[in-house]
Amino acid sequence: MTNNVQALKTFIWGILCCFFYLTTYGSQDSITVFMQQVANPSGEVDRSEAIQKLLQQDNPAVLPFLAAVQNSTLYIWKDELVVARKDADTPEGYMLLRKLYPTYTMVLDDEQQPLSVSQEELQSVPIARPDRLSVSGLGVRTNLFNPNTQIRAAAYLEALQSDDIAPELLSWALSHEDDPKVLVAGREAYCYFQMTKATTTSEITAWADSLYNTGGNNTLQLLQNFTKRDGLPEDASAYLLSKAEKLAAKSAWIERIQNAFSGLSLASILILISLGLGIVYGLAGIINMAHGEFLMIGAYATFSVQLLFSNVFGIQSSDWFFLAALPLSFIVAGSAGLLLERLVVRRLYAKPLDSLLATWGVSLILIQLARWIFGDMTAVKLPAILSGGIYINPQLVLPYNRLFIIVLTLIIVALVYWVLMHTRLGLQIRAVTQNRNMSACLGIDTKRVNVITFFMGSGLAGLAGCAMTLIGNVVPDMGQSYIVDSFLMVVIGGVGKIVGIIVSGLGIGISSKILEAFFEAVYGKVTILFIIMIFMQFRPKGLFPDKGRSAEE
Amino acid sequence: MIDMLLTVKDLSVSFGGLQALNLHNFSLAPRELRVIIGPNGAGKSTFMDLLCGRTKADHGTVFFDGKQILGMTEIQIAEMGIGRKFQKPSIFPSLSVYDNMLLATKMKKSVLASLFFKMDSAIDDKIRHTAVRVGLHGVLDKCAGELSHGQKQWLEIAIVVLQDPKLMLIDEPAAGMSDRETEKTGELLLELSTQHGVIVIEHDMHFVKQIAQKTVTVLVNGQLLTEGTFEEVRNDQRVIDSYLGRSNSERIKASI
Amino acid sequence: MLLKSDKIIPIVFLSFFAILLPLGYSAGLISVNSISLWGRYFCFAIAALGIDLIWGYTGIMSMCQAIFFCLGGYGIGMYLTLQADSSPAFLPDFMSWNNLTELPFFWMPFQNFIPTLLLGLLIPAAVAFIIGYFIFRSRIKGVYMAIITQALALSVYLLFIRNETNMGGTNGLTNFKTLLGFDLSQPAVKLGLYMVSLATLAGVYQICRHIVGSKFGKVLLAIRDSESRVGFTAYRVLHYKLTIFIIAAVIGAIAGMLYVPQTGIITPGRMDVKASVEMLMWVALGGRGHLKGAILGAISVNCLYSVCTTVFPEGWLFILGILYVLTVLYFDKGFLGLFEKLAIRVGLKSRKTAAAPLP
Repeated sequence: MTNNVQALKTFIWGILCCFFYLTTYGSQDSITVFMQQVANPSGEVDRSEAIQKLLQQDNPAVLPFLAAVQNSTLYIWKDELVVARKDADTPEGYMLLRKLYPTYTMVLDDEQQPLSVSQEELQSVPIARPDRLSVSGLGVRTNLFNPNTQIRAAAYLEALQSDDIAPELLSWALSHEDDPKVLVAGREAYCYFQMTKATTTSEITAWADSLYNTGGNNTLQLLQNFTKRDGLPEDASAYLLSKAEKLAAKSAWIERIQNAFSGLSLASILILISLGLGIVYGLAGIINMAHGEFLMIGAYATFSVQLLFSNVFGIQSSDWFFLAALPLSFIVAGSAGLLLERLVVRRLYAKPLDSLLATWGVSLILIQLARWIFGDMTAVKLPAILSGGIYINPQLVLPYNRLFIIVLTLIIVALVYWVLMHTRLGLQIRAVTQNRNMSACLGIDTKRVNVITFFMGSGLAGLAGCAMTLIGNVVPDMGQSYIVDSFLMVVIGGVGKIVGIIVSGLGIGISSKILEAFFEAVYGKVTILFIIMIFMQFRPKGLFPDKGRSAEE
Repeated sequence: MIDMLLTVKDLSVSFGGLQALNLHNFSLAPRELRVIIGPNGAGKSTFMDLLCGRTKADHGTVFFDGKQILGMTEIQIAEMGIGRKFQKPSIFPSLSVYDNMLLATKMKKSVLASLFFKMDSAIDDKIRHTAVRVGLHGVLDKCAGELSHGQKQWLEIAIVVLQDPKLMLIDEPAAGMSDRETEKTGELLLELSTQHGVIVIEHDMHFVKQIAQKTVTVLVNGQLLTEGTFEEVRNDQRVIDSYLGRSNSERIKASI
Repeated sequence: MLLKSDKIIPIVFLSFFAILLPLGYSAGLISVNSISLWGRYFCFAIAALGIDLIWGYTGIMSMCQAIFFCLGGYGIGMYLTLQADSSPAFLPDFMSWNNLTELPFFWMPFQNFIPTLLLGLLIPAAVAFIIGYFIFRSRIKGVYMAIITQALALSVYLLFIRNETNMGGTNGLTNFKTLLGFDLSQPAVKLGLYMVSLATLAGVYQICRHIVGSKFGKVLLAIRDSESRVGFTAYRVLHYKLTIFIIAAVIGAIAGMLYVPQTGIITPGRMDVKASVEMLMWVALGGRGHLKGAILGAISVNCLYSVCTTVFPEGWLFILGILYVLTVLYFDKGFLGLFEKLAIRVGLKSRKTAAAPLP
């Protein structure tokens, strides 16, 4: 009984709705018909005509459909016309869908999350080239709905330049936008657009405030351009200029923070590499030119662990491989170092120049070996937890991978410091560094200390290599680009001084990033080198030299 | 009063907080042979390092031959006429003994002069004469690196002698020599002091007794303890204490 | 015996390469390309002599010697580039790509041969003076010297691979046609350059012998043994080191200037750190501290390179790497040391004369 009543109610409600719909949106009904003709034409002529009809509509809601036609992203899914696109994290073979008409909305799953639909469920609507070209006449208008976020963001900026675009279209497109970057660009464009239309000073300043708050990339330039307009009231112009100045100051600060941050992450890597180098040099007088290749070994170890996890264990999308790779890269590179110590280096203690030549040869062999086994270039997939970053504002995002490297370095430095200062091994290392013969007389097994130190030093480079896979490709000669910098750090810091390495690493890292902001990277590097040369004129023994009679020998 | 060859005032240097030397007053007459003694770590070698420009002083003045030499490079000081023999023999091991001496011999030492240097008999005579004096005339063609420790000491003395300096700084010349050789070294030093000013650092008391004609200077903990004749110094209780370590142990107690 | 072999070896060397090889070429037994290849080996041997002077004799391990080789090479390369086209408004392609309309000022002097020759020697000398002055003045030596010069080599290399510096970028300078009106592709010109290289090698060797044999050379050895003692003996060590550093740089530049017309190309790849270390390797392998060793090392490593790259191209770096390790570990006196040992064992030379140099 109740069921019947319910059914009746629904029926009446449905009829009412239909009636209302037909009366209010009578014209839009024809749009649906045209769209169906485009999707299922009775002939090619039929489709072209329908598209022409749609082009004549002065309704923004048609534009997403036309954009889909233009970009061949129009599909039929469950008898509905949809546009399909991919995001960065959409799985392979899947697409995200948006309904096109009457509302332009995302297709969601039960949990209100965007639904990934397998490509097999989609039926593509093929559109002939002339038809697509006829749509492209709309230019900016359809670009506002382009599947590519960069084209969308650019379209908003472009819209500013053309006079025949209504602000309503912009606001309609913005209300259907979901990409944060495009949103910022769109808001920026919209505010500027309104500002140009504004007539009174108060309106202009109000829109300028909104524009300022969008935090877009072009805001500063837009504000400055606007002040050059004719007939702008003076107080408004002054207000805009003050806003522009404030913005310039703000972006300068952001740039400084960005430089400091990237400098810090570069410094971290340099410190990670140089720690082992510096300790080994201080202890044994070995200039290990193959040290950079331990970095490379660490990186390839990480790459191999990733392969192992995905191809042998069958764990596809997991971050576990990286967690396993961290200790493994240390051990693999350390063992390689151990091998080198046994085979070559042990005969060359306290002969730095000879060790330099011999280890240079080793480095050639290792690079060629890596090229032989792994080819010219590979890359390790960034673990999902480390993708993205801390969002501070649109211009300033601190990526997790770089933060991870900084934190890792902090931990390692603390650990190395602790080992050197508070363990028996550390005491022995320091003793041998200061006076090898005396240490041997006091019963320290200096050979054992050598071996352990070499293992540790190479392992640390391996760890640095593992960390490097987070921010760059894995190539056979990746160690070479860091080795010269690391040696300079050891030289500047003073032999075997951890504090020296940290200070000079921070100095080189941050100053090279700051100089790179002014010059090209190459000139920055050359400038730094000259600064170092001048520095060495005054402190030829580094920042923290040994003092006393033993240092004079 | 005669003009002093060397006058040192308030010379001090410290290494990482440790005061290695703090010498208020020290002077040396021309053609004087002075022996400096003192326990290990007294600052004797540091004193010589400062004089010859190997170590930079914190402050003080050193007048040599009427000129302030602190702050000069070791090359300038060597050109002024101070020659140094080190505790550990410092020679050129891959050159022959003859070449070692040739390089030391006083002559124009600029690059061009060396490039177009022609051997003449005066220099050759001088070298051979000196070689006879230090007893190396039999091994002139030998590689200096192959000499015995005592011979290396002799060679270094010959190098200093051939430079013909006004002041010779001789650090532990008798180390590693037999008694006979030591005595011969003493004779040589006495002979040299008739033409040059000589400062000798030595531990061997027999040797000191042999060469100390006038004054012996005692350094302890970087400071001048006393100066006097060999007999005076030998009987000074403070000197004996410093060598036997009594004052050392007291200082340690005091610092704790 | 020793005196005799001292004279015999250069005579045999010279007569073989100055008479026999050209005869072989005119008889059609040896291709002009091999002749040209040997000409290039001689250039490397000249550069090796310079390195032996500063490293083998003076004990300064400089890892930027390839810079000087390339400065000379680029000098002549610039001249040859400008000679390739005689029109006055001629611009090399890479400059047009940089949107230049006229020759940059530092290319101007290289339009004529004499200024090129002078600058090709003066610029490396000046660069060596500046680098050397600052390094030696602050008494940077040993490992620190090696590291600083290595960084220098890297930064000069980086400057040369940039396109804005107008030195041809990574591609370097190439497409040379004529030198002083001689067509570089002509076999006779190639033979001529070969002979000039050989003569230069002989001349440089003779000059180096004079330097090494003089008192100056003894001071260099003394600096290698004990730099501080040299200073305490009143020699101005800075002047000596600077002089020999500049001489080595000029010798390197001469080698570079002869090398470029024979290969027909000069790229920044010739001046990176690797190139400098390889040059050290030639000397180490031949026997440092012996002029003949430097020549022997340069020629043998490069011969090996030519053979390897045709037979087993992938393996060259393995072989080179192993050579580095073996030389340092097992024969740090190089080939010459090895020969000497063999000679002693066979009984050609007694132990005593081998060890003690004659006054």
